[in-house]
Amino acid sequence: MQEQERFFNDLVRQYSEQLYWHVRGIVGSHEDADDLMQEIFIKAWNALPRFRGDSDPFTWLWRIATNESISFLRKARVRAALSFTRIDAEAERISDPSPYFDGDKALRALRKAIAALPDKQRLVFTMRYYEELSYEQISEITGTSIGALKTSYHIAYEKIKDFLTTTD
Amino acid sequence: MKKNMPYSTPEGYFEGLQNRLSEIPARKSRINLTPYLALAASFMLAMLAGNYILMKTTASQPASDDEIVEYLIDSGMTLAQLEDEIYNY
Repeated sequence: MQEQERFFNDLVRQYSEQLYWHVRGIVGSHEDADDLMQEIFIKAWNALPRFRGDSDPFTWLWRIATNESISFLRKARVRAALSFTRIDAEAERISDPSPYFDGDKALRALRKAIAALPDKQRLVFTMRYYEELSYEQISEITGTSIGALKTSYHIAYEKIKDFLTTTD
Repeated sequence: MKKNMPYSTPEGYFEGLQNRLSEIPARKSRINLTPYLALAASFMLAMLAGNYILMKTTASQPASDDEIVEYLIDSGMTLAQLEDEIYNY
């Protein structure tokens, strides 16, 4: 048990900040990312007895975080639809998380474009563009083939380009 | 890491976050019940389950928002279909 706790605390020390930015990149708002960090590490702690020592802790943690973040977004969208909030209004909320947004107008527009992407494209774009993860790493985390990831990234890139051109 | 990301966090946020996350194992092990407490909890759980079944069969409760959201996600309905249903209602 003490061994497990030590390992868990090492994970927290080593990865919590980087993981926060991963989650923040997906969900946008600081408050949502902060709540999710608790959920993710509770899940990680509960799953620790099943964690195989030969696996990469980075991939393992990122997989938990990605699944939690996507699940959070799906629920948020369904809730928004049920409360008659248009999806673009929800995207607006996600892309405008003041007061912890310190970008200019162009960066705000970019975040808005990313927030309007479907989950998979948003995920791939965020992991490539902001986190600079390799397609191999993203493939291990998401369980998607490298070819499919490249296609998703390309489509996301084109959609963002269109969005930024039309909103100029 | 935070390349191009136009976000910031409150001052000292990451120190606080690490402290909070490091408390998870202690918090979780405090919930670790002794056998007697576990027995009492099982008894309570059985009582609650019985009560829940009784409530379900005798009165119809409106579903909570969370239950509706879970149901819609599990049903495999797409967001587009859901929006169509709502806005064409």
